[in-house]
Amino acid sequence: MTPTAAARRTVTLNEVGLNCDVRISSINGPACDRLRDLGFCEQMQLRKLSNGRNLICTVCGAKMAISRELAEQVLVSPVR
Amino acid sequence: MSESPLTIALVGNPNSGKSTLFNALTGKNQRVGNYAGVTVEVKSGETYTPHGQKLHVLDLPGCYSLRAGSKDEQVALDALTGKFEKSAKPDLVVCVVDSSNLERHLQLALQIIEMDLPCVLALNMVDLAEKTGLRLDPSKLSEELGIPVVPMQANAGKGIIELKQALRLPFPPPSDAPWLAHGDKEKTEAQRREFITSLCELAARRPDSQSRTFSDKLDGFFLHPIFGWVSFLAIMFLIFWAIFSFASIPMDFIDGAMGDFGGWVESLMPDGDFRSLLVDGVIAGVGGVLVFLPQIILLFLFIGLLESSGYMARAAFLMDGVMAKAGLSGKAFLPLFSSYACAIPGIMATRTIDSAKERLTTIFVAPWMSCSARLPVYFLIIPLLLHESEGTWKQALILFAIYALGTLTAFLVARILRGKLGADKTVNHFMLELPPYRKPQWSYILRHVIDRALAFVKKAGTIILGLSILLWALATYPKADSQDPGEILARSAMGRIGQYIEPVVKPLGFDGRTGTAILTTFAAREVLVSSLGVIFSVRETDDDAENRGLIREKIQAATWPDGRPLFTPLSLVSLLVFFIYALQCLPTTAVVAREAGSWKWAAGQFVFMTGFAYLASLLVFQGGKLLGF
Repeated sequence: MTPTAAARRTVTLNEVGLNCDVRISSINGPACDRLRDLGFCEQMQLRKLSNGRNLICTVCGAKMAISRELAEQVLVSPVR
Repeated sequence: MSESPLTIALVGNPNSGKSTLFNALTGKNQRVGNYAGVTVEVKSGETYTPHGQKLHVLDLPGCYSLRAGSKDEQVALDALTGKFEKSAKPDLVVCVVDSSNLERHLQLALQIIEMDLPCVLALNMVDLAEKTGLRLDPSKLSEELGIPVVPMQANAGKGIIELKQALRLPFPPPSDAPWLAHGDKEKTEAQRREFITSLCELAARRPDSQSRTFSDKLDGFFLHPIFGWVSFLAIMFLIFWAIFSFASIPMDFIDGAMGDFGGWVESLMPDGDFRSLLVDGVIAGVGGVLVFLPQIILLFLFIGLLESSGYMARAAFLMDGVMAKAGLSGKAFLPLFSSYACAIPGIMATRTIDSAKERLTTIFVAPWMSCSARLPVYFLIIPLLLHESEGTWKQALILFAIYALGTLTAFLVARILRGKLGADKTVNHFMLELPPYRKPQWSYILRHVIDRALAFVKKAGTIILGLSILLWALATYPKADSQDPGEILARSAMGRIGQYIEPVVKPLGFDGRTGTAILTTFAAREVLVSSLGVIFSVRETDDDAENRGLIREKIQAATWPDGRPLFTPLSLVSLLVFFIYALQCLPTTAVVAREAGSWKWAAGQFVFMTGFAYLASLLVFQGGKLLGF
């Protein structure tokens, strides 16, 4: 797959469907340090469990609730 | 000359089990829970090495990193760098990590190693990690990190001896940090993350497939958009109902025992001032408050259960949308809910809130979450509003409405205040860890409940006893020649104070005696019960020895000088409203001043809340009268 194709497949965490396993490609935004502290690091695998005002996902074995604004800063790609 | 003991600090992410380990090491009973942010200040204790050397142990608030994003994280960082209250840097750091969540918890552990501090890794909750299928290799972890690693399960006491072995002197030397790119912060962070990823692949391999856990199934229900709210409201109502119905048996017992004890003391002693002091002052005053002990125990028990099970974090998640309407976030829910037990730990728990302005707002409104000290007042007044035949569920409903009124007003004021304070410099978004559901740690819950019950009894035996004696003296002296109880009270110091206060409180529906009783509650609000007991028993000392504990009957019988009943349903509602809103707790004001860093903020809160209480009570009484009640 070319880098362009890979970039096209990258979406924000908000856009991921429920119960989908994805891998974090990058964290972009003002809260990136805080997100990394909470375990949202590049290459980590996560599963989105619920949508809504705040969404729930499991990352590094922990269940985290984060706001949609934060989820917008997490770019993910499907797990191959 | 003896040397001062070496210091070890327990550090880790929130909810990694630091306080549980601290309690196991020091034999103390530090509060533990199952949500992030239970510990918000540094706690200290002592333990001994296997060779009997005394060690000073610090339990630091949980932090995700050493960036100090919130006040509790700043406290932890200060303690590690030796800037906290003149204490030196710790001689050793025990980094407590949740084994089932190593990828995240190791971030902090590695940052501590970078600080060049000797470190031991406590690999806590290995039982949970094994249940999720994680394959842990503590030896490999130790080898790669260059520090001792101790697998343990602190809540079951497993691994404590092994940890103490690792705390032998001399302490291990600080480890090298091979991922460190000196002088380049961004490169260090990237290399640290890479190091953790490769370390976890080596020593903490996760199973390839994730199965749905028991916690996931429970969350499917408790966080459901409809069932979640239904269960949240049902749990809250059940707590209120249980407090009323379950507590009545021990309350009747204490009430009866106090009455019998008063009668027994009265029968033993000759008539005189000393007998009056003991029976009308001490026993009526202290007994009147002690009778509410069972309800306070139940409230702390239920809050302990919610905290320990992990439900509290779910409640915060559900409430985030509601809190947003008040200009707050779900993170403010935990401090505000804790304030239902006592505003002081609630206000301290605001340290977990990242936004400084949201934190100040939460501190400002927290005392309007009806605390347990208000319960005696509510339990005294609510039954007076209902007939005896009416069930406990109606009492529970009124109590629920009282809590709802305080909470809704707090939200309204928070929204206005939050708007006035303006936006934060940096935007803070909601992020919260939802810990796995766990069986309640009964031993800690019970010890915590017992501590709170003893604190309540101690308060009854000190502040309330002192005020009861003072009130008795004010109501007894100077003595009048007359035998008429009304005349005696009118001539006493209390009667004279009451005359001054009466014009202020009469528009609220109270007489001077009730006004005097309210005046005494500004030291501690639950004093109202004993104050009313002492004040009204003076009028009716002749014929109600058997009813000594039944302050309620005396209040019902009290009249204005023209014979009208003093307490009508309207004046009782007015009194309830005053107690929902007034800030009558000196320790709370002191804690607000410390946490907000401003006496002006604390004084402003006191004046605002007391003024609000007066106006609300005035509105209820005068409005009610106009409507014909």
